Amino acid sequence: MNIFIGLINGMISGATPILLAALGGTFTYYAGIFNIAMEGMMLGGAFFAVLGSYYFHSWPMGILFAILGALFMALIFIVFSVILKTDEFITGIALNLFAVGATTYLLRQIFKVKGAFSDPGIIPIPKVDIPLIKDIPVVGSILSGQNLLVYVTFVVILITVYVVFKTRFGLRLRAAGYNAASLDTSGVRTSSVRIWSLVICGVLCGLAGAYLSLGYVNLFSENMSAGRGWISLAAVILVNGNPWGITLISLLFGFTDGLGLLLQQYLPNQFTSMVPYIATLISLYFYSIQKRKKTA
Amino acid sequence: MRKKFISGILGIVVALVLGAIIMLFQGYNPIETYGALFSYSLGGWYPFCTTLRNSVPLILTGFSASIAFASGPVNLGQPGQLLIGALFATVGGMYIHLPAVLEIPILIALALLGGALWSGAAALMHKWFSMDEFITTLMLNMIADLLTYWAISYPFFEKGANSPLTPQIDKAGWLPEFGEFNTNVLVMLLTFVVVWFIYSRLTAGYEWRLTGQNSIFARLGGCNIDKNYMAVMLITGALAGLAGGLVVMAGPHRFVKGLGANYAWDGVMVAMVANNGLFGTILYGLFFSTLQSGALGMELITAVPSEFIQVLQSVIVLVIVAGRGLLDIWMDKSMIKRKARERAA
Repeated sequence: MNIFIGLINGMISGATPILLAALGGTFTYYAGIFNIAMEGMMLGGAFFAVLGSYYFHSWPMGILFAILGALFMALIFIVFSVILKTDEFITGIALNLFAVGATTYLLRQIFKVKGAFSDPGIIPIPKVDIPLIKDIPVVGSILSGQNLLVYVTFVVILITVYVVFKTRFGLRLRAAGYNAASLDTSGVRTSSVRIWSLVICGVLCGLAGAYLSLGYVNLFSENMSAGRGWISLAAVILVNGNPWGITLISLLFGFTDGLGLLLQQYLPNQFTSMVPYIATLISLYFYSIQKRKKTA
Repeated sequence: MRKKFISGILGIVVALVLGAIIMLFQGYNPIETYGALFSYSLGGWYPFCTTLRNSVPLILTGFSASIAFASGPVNLGQPGQLLIGALFATVGGMYIHLPAVLEIPILIALALLGGALWSGAAALMHKWFSMDEFITTLMLNMIADLLTYWAISYPFFEKGANSPLTPQIDKAGWLPEFGEFNTNVLVMLLTFVVVWFIYSRLTAGYEWRLTGQNSIFARLGGCNIDKNYMAVMLITGALAGLAGGLVVMAGPHRFVKGLGANYAWDGVMVAMVANNGLFGTILYGLFFSTLQSGALGMELITAVPSEFIQVLQSVIVLVIVAGRGLLDIWMDKSMIKRKARERAA
């Protein structure tokens, strides 16, 4: 039973950052942006989360800084790809490398360390115990006692579904991706819709980054996003941006993450760390097979 | 050609100025810093040779990315292919003992093979299951990273070492050095000639370029798209693998953890600023290598951390690529204006 609960909790904590970033990717996906900069935004968020939390000794400041840091990355993406019309692919790759370089540089400049920075002064985001529910056996230890951002993520899923499919902004968002010319003709500037979608993506990637460095672990290490932004991108593409589908896929990846930890007893940890990436390849396989059947 | 030159120079200047502003902001002297940077990478024979040597992996992965992007396949697997190529060359060098004349070509062939196998895996996934190589190559990068880490920690681990690394390869497999000049540059130049010949003089290269520009047109024109896709993936993988093999054979002569560093991603950036041109890749590869080789000297003299160069590189890429686009628009506009004026007259 304990293993089961551990697996579920591992699944949830592994899924949270991927899910948050992928929900951000949903907005840009519908807006018709080939956004591969989630990795960089997440990494920027993770660094600034530690910075804010450490200097102000408060986790809310950490979250605020994470959002600002990721927004800064999003701003660069906006300036180059939306305003200057630079190739989105090149902008994204350059931005991801910029994020790696800038966070490593700042890590050295501000904290005077190389590799990783951990300090008792970094205040983590707290776990939330829900009264009553936490006393229910089994279910209680899953539904209650999760990190605050896990509950935030759940709310974000609902908001995303509502905004994308039920609001005027959502309609314009989808129109920007579906047929930008007709959106422009109807009097709405596609570029401003795209800018807003990137801003939302920045905020959510900031939260994902904050979860990585203040929730999942309590430190910042170089390149700590470790491909999670790419997995988020894969998740978005796999389900064509559907938020519920993304939730499911992220949970699946989270599960493989937890499974990897469990397998560490039997295999060298290099192999168990491969599990999420292999899972991505396998889900891509099923997606492609299905898609091929549809077109055939 | 002139336009490319202008946008390149302008981009570099703007990026260096931006870098100088960041330095001023942090209280460093930009002139002194850039002075140290360039004197440690270009000021003299020894630094120049180091720059040349370090440019080889950048340029080779740059070729790999250039050819892939210009021919269609979005092969972003250079980091993984480089590592597997390096591992193949290392393992070959550990167990094969032949005279240098045979050993070096064999190790190079192994490196090519390793890279091609890794990109071939992605290519097969595309061929059989139409899985997008953009995601598969990225995932294979992560897997290669972990796989090589495992390989140098367990099966090929040098007993008694403090960190994961392999024993040294056979001395016959070391690339000869003339003073400070390492012959990996010659291997790179040879590769350039071969690649350039295939790409610009043979029908195969013509078909690849055609496919990259318009795959439907190429297919209707009678090109075998699937075969070309496979060939491009294998060749670009092999090029990245070669980069990895040469890193081992020219540098530490063994596989140490973190061997690939950022070479492959920097190579991808080089290809992007060079707009997938082979000559441009060499020039920008040399320039990026200049920055990287000078970084340590810069850190030594002016205390600006060497990581700053990584930031500067991505700024250069963004500024040059964006500048190129803007310059295009501006030139088109001015041409239209001129034509309109001529017509009015």
